Amino acid sequence: MRDVYIIGTGIHPWMGFSEQVFADFAAVAVNDALKDANLEWQKIEAIMAGIFIYGGNAGHLSGQYLESIFGETGIPVVNVYNACATGSASIRMAYNSIAAGETDTALAFGADVSPKGFLTAKSDNAVQDRDVIRWKMGGLPNPIYWALECRKRMEKYGTTEEDLALVKVLMSEYGSKNPHARFKKQYSIEEVLNSVYVCDPLRLFEICPVSTGAAALIVTADEELISKADNPVKINATTMGSAMYGDPTIRISALSCPSVPEAPMLSESYSASRQAYEKSGIGPEDIDVLELPDNSSWHYLVYLETCGFCKDGEADKMLRDGETKIGAKLAVNPSGGFSSHGEALSAQAIWQVIECTNQLRGRCGERQVEGAKVAMAQTYGLMGNSGTTIMTI
Amino acid sequence: MENMVNKVARIPNLVDWSTGEVRLMSAKCNSCGTYFFPREHYQHRPGCSREGVEDVLLAQKGKLASYTIQYYPCPAPFKTEKKITPYGIGLVEFEDEKIQITGIITDTDLKSLKIGMEMETTILDMYTNEEKQQVVTWAFKAIK
Ligand SMILES: [Zn+2]
Repeated sequence: MRDVYIIGTGIHPWMGFSEQVFADFAAVAVNDALKDANLEWQKIEAIMAGIFIYGGNAGHLSGQYLESIFGETGIPVVNVYNACATGSASIRMAYNSIAAGETDTALAFGADVSPKGFLTAKSDNAVQDRDVIRWKMGGLPNPIYWALECRKRMEKYGTTEEDLALVKVLMSEYGSKNPHARFKKQYSIEEVLNSVYVCDPLRLFEICPVSTGAAALIVTADEELISKADNPVKINATTMGSAMYGDPTIRISALSCPSVPEAPMLSESYSASRQAYEKSGIGPEDIDVLELPDNSSWHYLVYLETCGFCKDGEADKMLRDGETKIGAKLAVNPSGGFSSHGEALSAQAIWQVIECTNQLRGRCGERQVEGAKVAMAQTYGLMGNSGTTIMTI
Repeated sequence: MENMVNKVARIPNLVDWSTGEVRLMSAKCNSCGTYFFPREHYQHRPGCSREGVEDVLLAQKGKLASYTIQYYPCPAPFKTEKKITPYGIGLVEFEDEKIQITGIITDTDLKSLKIGMEMETTILDMYTNEEKQQVVTWAFKAIK
């Protein structure tokens, strides 16, 4: 297998609902990535596209629509969906194609336009699409799943409402320093604790909304391109995981979960991260920057444990002791996280990898983690989807 | 039990009241022992032969394993005639079946919710359909 490097990245800043076409957002990100890599479009040998699930035919074939904007060249275009880990899948496919020697240079991208209002059922057919049951009969929007797990955690480990609020305080401080962030206001702990409950114990400022955004990544094994690139970032491993039998987590979209655990919580992410540690020979103790999926404050805490940055039940103490701040040994979500961005489904995993890349390239200005050499991006998608990418400079 | 004659579940094969008790419709794999809900959502143990899956009804009672109170109306296609927000959602554990199931909490003081409390399966009236039937979903309530 050949070494694979990130040589170009591009982001369309995260924002709310838009009437603009999703492919145009993608084109902004792809154009920036080409410029960053100092690369002509014709050098791209494969496109691995994250699909835009609410975009109908065009969204499901997002790679073809993107290709036509820049000019069709006949290269392989693959469109993929893995819920919120969609971007992880596109990066992994680009990496594997290059590492195996099939192509030298590939593009991975994702673009998503926030639905107006809430995420809800994508079909009306409860036989084929079991997700319909939770909407028609369960009364179960996504944050309820997180609240049910958060309540269990509070009972088991003594996580407090102040801990949950503190996550937002920290994320908003970093988000205020990130030009790509959608939410730039800084919050005090009192302001977070005074925000309304969405589904208790989770408050409005402790869960992330859906956003519009696009992100693109150019990866290569072409030695000439790598030597000419500005601080190329090596991908040491990029993996995906699915859930394991006996995982006690109540997964978004499901109506049941096992009551006797036989696998770790969030086992898809446990699996993806352990595969990445094994493949890269890099462990949690080596990592300087971690971008984790803080869909809610509960996720921020549990992901530190799932990915092995501390033992089960110890994340709250890590947070309270300042061990996850910029300046500590491990900087967690220096981007401001999903809390400051919101979710743009097919783009967010790529955006997380780009934040890590920017940190390693020393491009993060006020939120820069000094001397960052090793970074990890971790995603989470509903119904057992996850991806981990470990990068070094 | 109230008159259940003119009631219909919004989606079939999830909740049953034909025995006189309201119970959830599950399936059990007699090879790996796993219970499924909904019953078509198979989640076999890896290596299971998948032979001998039979439809079963879950116990009528369980224990509250977790809960939340939802303060915003659930978006469509969720539909109720009466305003139910804020509403409780429980994750109820059926000990013998080793499964926890989500459901709306009804007919219960939400302030009294506590992990470990005993709950029973019931139904919640949602709306009246064109055939003048009461459309219902499954729900849980505290045992008084
Ligand atoms: Zn089985």
